[in-house]
Amino acid sequence: MDASALGLGEFNEKDRKEIQSFIEKEQQKAKFQENVHSLTAMCWTKCLAQNKISGPGLDKNESSCLNNCVNRYIDAQKTVISQLERMGA
Amino acid sequence: MDGVNNMFGLGGNQTKEEKKQIIIQTIQQQQNIENARVLIDKINTNCFEKCVPKPGSSFTSGESTCMTHCMQKYMTAWNTVSSAYIQRIKSDPSSN
Repeated sequence: MDASALGLGEFNEKDRKEIQSFIEKEQQKAKFQENVHSLTAMCWTKCLAQNKISGPGLDKNESSCLNNCVNRYIDAQKTVISQLERMGA
Repeated sequence: MDGVNNMFGLGGNQTKEEKKQIIIQTIQQQQNIENARVLIDKINTNCFEKCVPKPGSSFTSGESTCMTHCMQKYMTAWNTVSSAYIQRIKSDPSSN
């Protein structure tokens, strides 16, 4: 969504800029949360789905598995991107 | 832009400052609702899979307890993943 789509014509330049930059920040936040949702679902399957649910908390192995899962996913993603860049070059 | 004004509940009696606040609050609210909706959907999917592997003719108390624990566990996992992700982005900005 951009500020012009909101019909912000009645606002002055300063207000329009403020609203626009608020929207951009919210879009970044939305993208971040979306990534956390998909990482959580993926890492849940890898780290927790097989374990017995004995209580509401995470044990030490589970939380360290989640941590590794996030970091290795990003490593894997970066490997794909850099490989693609090499192929394109 | 009547449509947009209606969407944000802007009638015309508010000052520009009030209108700006309403727009900002509405966007924020919508985003919070969407975030909660996705989280609830993921919890339902993953915890149903986990706690009710073979649906029987009634919802047992064991299944119900499992759902409660699973839900809390999923939310803790969400927070753990979120902080791990933030930490990674901070120490390695290219991973964002």
